[in-house]
Amino acid sequence: MLTKLKFTIRSKIAIGYFLIICCLGASIVIVTDRMAALQDEVAAMTSLDIEAHHSIAAVRFDAVSMENGQRGYLLTGEEDYLEAYNTGKTQWEVNYNSLYTYLSDNPNTHRELEEVKFAIQSWVKEVAEPTIEMKRNGDEEALSAFLQANSSKPSINDLPEKFESLRDKEIQSTKLRILELENRNRLLTLSIYILLFVVTIIAFIIVAFVSGLIVRTIKQVSNTITNIASAGGDLTTRIQVKTNDEIRDLGEATNKLLASLESQNWIQSRVAEVATMNQGISDLPTLAQSFLSKVAPMIGASYGVFYIRKESHEGQRLVRIAAYASQGEEGGRSSFKIGEGLVGQSAQDKRFFLLNQMPEHHAVITTGLGQTVPQSILIVPIEYEGKVEAVVEFASIESFTSEHLKLLEEIAQDFGIAVINVAGRMEVERLLSESQMLTEELQAQTEELQTQSEELQMQQEEMRMTTEHLEEQNLYAQQKTKELEKTKRELEDYSARLKQSSEYKTNFLANMSHELRTPLNSILILSQLLSDNDNGTLTEDEQGYAKVIYASGNDLLKLIDDILDLSKIEAGKAVLNIDEVNLTEIPELIRLSFDHVAENKGLPFHIHMESGLPAIWHTDGQRLQQIIKNLLSNAFKFTEQGSVTMRLDWASPIEVDQWLPMYSGERVLAVSVTDTGIGIPLNKQQLIFEAFQQVDGKTNRQYGGTGLGLSISNEFAKLLDGNIALSSTPNEGSCFTLYLPNLLNGRRHSVQQAQLEAAASIEEDSHVLMGWEQADSNSSAAARAINGHEELLFKGKRVLLAEDDARNVYALVKALENKGMDVIVAGNGKRCMELLHADPEIDLILMDIMMPVMDGFETMKAIRELPQLRNMPIIALTAKAMKSDRDKCLEAGASDYISKPLQMDQLFSLMRVWLTKQVGQS
Amino acid sequence: MRDHFYPHERNDSSVLNELESIEINLLLEGIYRVYGFDFRHYLRSSLQRRIRNRMNAEGLPTITALLEKVLHDASFMKTLLNDFSINVTEMYRDQSFFRAFRQEIVPLLRPYSELRIWHAGCSTGEEVYSMAILLHEEGLLDRTKLYATDMNEQVIEQAKRGRFQLKRMQSFTKNYQLAGGNREFSAYYTTDQEHAYFKPAISDNIVFAQHNLATDSTFNEFHVILCRNVLIYFDTVLQHRVYNLFHESLTQRGFLGIGSKETLLSPFKTHYEELMPCERIYRKRLVQSNVNRE
Repeated sequence: MLTKLKFTIRSKIAIGYFLIICCLGASIVIVTDRMAALQDEVAAMTSLDIEAHHSIAAVRFDAVSMENGQRGYLLTGEEDYLEAYNTGKTQWEVNYNSLYTYLSDNPNTHRELEEVKFAIQSWVKEVAEPTIEMKRNGDEEALSAFLQANSSKPSINDLPEKFESLRDKEIQSTKLRILELENRNRLLTLSIYILLFVVTIIAFIIVAFVSGLIVRTIKQVSNTITNIASAGGDLTTRIQVKTNDEIRDLGEATNKLLASLESQNWIQSRVAEVATMNQGISDLPTLAQSFLSKVAPMIGASYGVFYIRKESHEGQRLVRIAAYASQGEEGGRSSFKIGEGLVGQSAQDKRFFLLNQMPEHHAVITTGLGQTVPQSILIVPIEYEGKVEAVVEFASIESFTSEHLKLLEEIAQDFGIAVINVAGRMEVERLLSESQMLTEELQAQTEELQTQSEELQMQQEEMRMTTEHLEEQNLYAQQKTKELEKTKRELEDYSARLKQSSEYKTNFLANMSHELRTPLNSILILSQLLSDNDNGTLTEDEQGYAKVIYASGNDLLKLIDDILDLSKIEAGKAVLNIDEVNLTEIPELIRLSFDHVAENKGLPFHIHMESGLPAIWHTDGQRLQQIIKNLLSNAFKFTEQGSVTMRLDWASPIEVDQWLPMYSGERVLAVSVTDTGIGIPLNKQQLIFEAFQQVDGKTNRQYGGTGLGLSISNEFAKLLDGNIALSSTPNEGSCFTLYLPNLLNGRRHSVQQAQLEAAASIEEDSHVLMGWEQADSNSSAAARAINGHEELLFKGKRVLLAEDDARNVYALVKALENKGMDVIVAGNGKRCMELLHADPEIDLILMDIMMPVMDGFETMKAIRELPQLRNMPIIALTAKAMKSDRDKCLEAGASDYISKPLQMDQLFSLMRVWLTKQVGQS
Repeated sequence: MRDHFYPHERNDSSVLNELESIEINLLLEGIYRVYGFDFRHYLRSSLQRRIRNRMNAEGLPTITALLEKVLHDASFMKTLLNDFSINVTEMYRDQSFFRAFRQEIVPLLRPYSELRIWHAGCSTGEEVYSMAILLHEEGLLDRTKLYATDMNEQVIEQAKRGRFQLKRMQSFTKNYQLAGGNREFSAYYTTDQEHAYFKPAISDNIVFAQHNLATDSTFNEFHVILCRNVLIYFDTVLQHRVYNLFHESLTQRGFLGIGSKETLLSPFKTHYEELMPCERIYRKRLVQSNVNRE
């Protein structure tokens, strides 16, 4: 194809034009030739015509001059005339011959010519010659005779007619010729037109052919290009040009462009592929690995290693972090120095290395079937901002193409940024975790420091205290005697006062008892008398009323007795008479009191006594009886059917451990009273005993007098160093068990101490009647003794209570004051703010939410607006189950919240938290 | 550390002089051989600081002296153990995490009839108590067993007691409120003069046990694993191990929570779906694929 001659568009057009011009030229030549021939013919014809005329005229003239000469001679006989005749005679033949040649091609005239010739010749021969001869000879007669006989003699006189006819013929033939010429002329014109037409058609054909030739290929090219464009840039299509001209050049150039575009496109798409692969990778080995797995197939490499530049203490090194189709550790060195080996050199020079025709022992490419030596090795440095960040080495079984190189060049350009980015990201992540770690460590150290400084402070404090203590001791030692004396006096004084006060109280109680009992006794007696109705004056109804009065009075009396008992205990006036009690007597005594009750209620009443029990037990017999009686009356009261059982037994070691840990390992008496009554629900069980300690006596009242009785029994049991346990199931019955230790000498010191404390607290508190409410029970007093530190935490703390409900205020104030706190009460938020303004030295605020004038939310907001109170602990007292309230509390600035009704334990826990100085607070 | 390609290596190497580095290696190796605590894959920078602190505190001239002391004095190991395990934590630390857990994860946990949650590296237990309270409030605690583990027996003992200093309780309370708690925090504890004690109702379902992430293997299958701010002290080799352990220990579609400043090692990213990227809560994908890359 290449050897084929190039047939350019220019030559095509030129040939076209040339052909057209040729046709035109040929037609012009033909036409002009034809016209010239025509003209020649016309000219020939014209000249022939003229010549013929001339010749005819000459022949006529000759004939005429011969006749004239002959006649003259004949007449005159003068020889002169003969001369003219002779001239004519020689001339006419010449002229006739020329005429003959002129007219020779016209056969019509031949006859006339022959006739003319013959006429002349015959005249000459028959007329002229003989006459002349006769004249010359002088033979006049013959002559005259001859002339007379003229009629049959040839004459020359009809010659003009002959000539005329010759002329006519000649003209006629000329006219014919002209006609013919005209015909030919017309034919010529027609042929010119035809020629023109033919030439035009040929020209059109040539134009169409040539332009078609050009346009078709151009269209083909443009169609291909349009197709490529419309097919979304499918660059694989190529332009096919069959002609060998500029269009082919154009096509080839376009194909070259397409090929270059396609390769560019290929490179671009691969570059983009690699670039998108880079996204979302956050560590270098993964990046390198995915780079290799991506790029190696692109360039047909069957082996690849990725080295990254690392700073190390030995300088910069290139360290392998990923490999493609590697052979494990042997598949390439794990690191290079910069400049070491081709890899290092590539990093140093920042240039590509392409090695072909590897020696046999070079790294091999391993497949499942065997190993082969790579054909070509390519080492590519990856740069960023002019610094080589990584070097990649590829090996292939085939040679790398320039396209591969170009692709790698492109990729290497962008990939540097990716490497830097990922390295940066890794560094950031590392720094982030490092900082987190440092923060944590710092925090730990801070805490440690805090602890240390706290310890130091405590040590300082301790030292200071020790010093102070020593000084004090010194002082104390000096004043000791004085103090002792004073104390002694005071003690005496105190003892006297105590005695006095105790006496007052005893008197008061005795009076009370007397004053209450006297009227009550009269009521009882009178009501009993009435109810007996001995006179029979009362109706049955009235008798019933009286019985009710009696029964109620009895209840009241019992209640008064109970209250007095209790106040006695609280006042420390409950004197114990520890003595030998005969246990065997007890069932007898109890039966005396309760058999009839059992009978009245129709309940069986059993008393069991364990056989192994000792006869004698050291305790207060009267109190013991009182407790048992209380328990039994309680049992009968709540039992409608079934039975009531009393049992005396040893307590099991487990029970002792549980209920009387102080007497662990000793024998303890267990007196149990079991009924089948209504029982006590689990959540109320504790209440029966603890209600008293919790100030709130209300709940107890629903149990009536017995409730008090139980409390008293409990108190008595504790006085006796014993305890009462309760196990009960609602609607099945209850079992109260009294655990009683054997109180030999010296066993009651804890009791006495508790009594003393109780007495002291009563002494301090002027609310004598409220004594039982105020003073803690033995157990809580003991608890207080154990939690000695707690007092320190609460002691002297100033608590501001914002609460409008008087009952709550009363109960809370009592409870908090018991813990040694100072309580300031504000009836509403406004009052609270006034108090705070007047005296901001408050440790904690308890804030009720529902208050008149200014509610808790407003108050807390107002408090938080004061800068000096921003950190004041505020505990909001909210209604239960109002979640929105809690959020509002926190919003308003509460530190914490607790819901009402308040659980005192929880409140104290909360207060401990908020009164404790916190870590990190100054 | 031989396969270590990460940039921090150069920091370590530039800071540590070679001798000190060898000494630390010996110390860690000795501790591992004698006591079984494996700190060899802890980050050197952090360990080095703590070792130096301890050296200063004890007045020891070299790390080798420290090594000698720890090899012959088992009680000193406890001190060192406390030094090495940073026990910084508080209740409802990163409140947004707990808020997110309550709002987003708890609804996903409701369908399970039985739940197991593992607090790996629980330290003194603040986090596990926080979680127990949260679950209690969401009504899930009864069917949940919380496993709280730490390598340090001492802190486990401490955590078991559920006892926290009063002086930290105010901030715990504030954290609780910020973490979306809307009940009375005080209802969950009782107090004495120095400490607050969480009630048994909260701690009954918590199992405390010693477990070393560096050496021990998995012991159950869990629906949730929380391991927050523990892995930052590990190098990638150990992190890799631990993430593997977690992946093995999670149920299908189980949840993994890590510290707010931590990131999942990239090989594991494909195994989890990022449920809450900001709070670093991930969910294991259903596809069971090979995690073992080692």
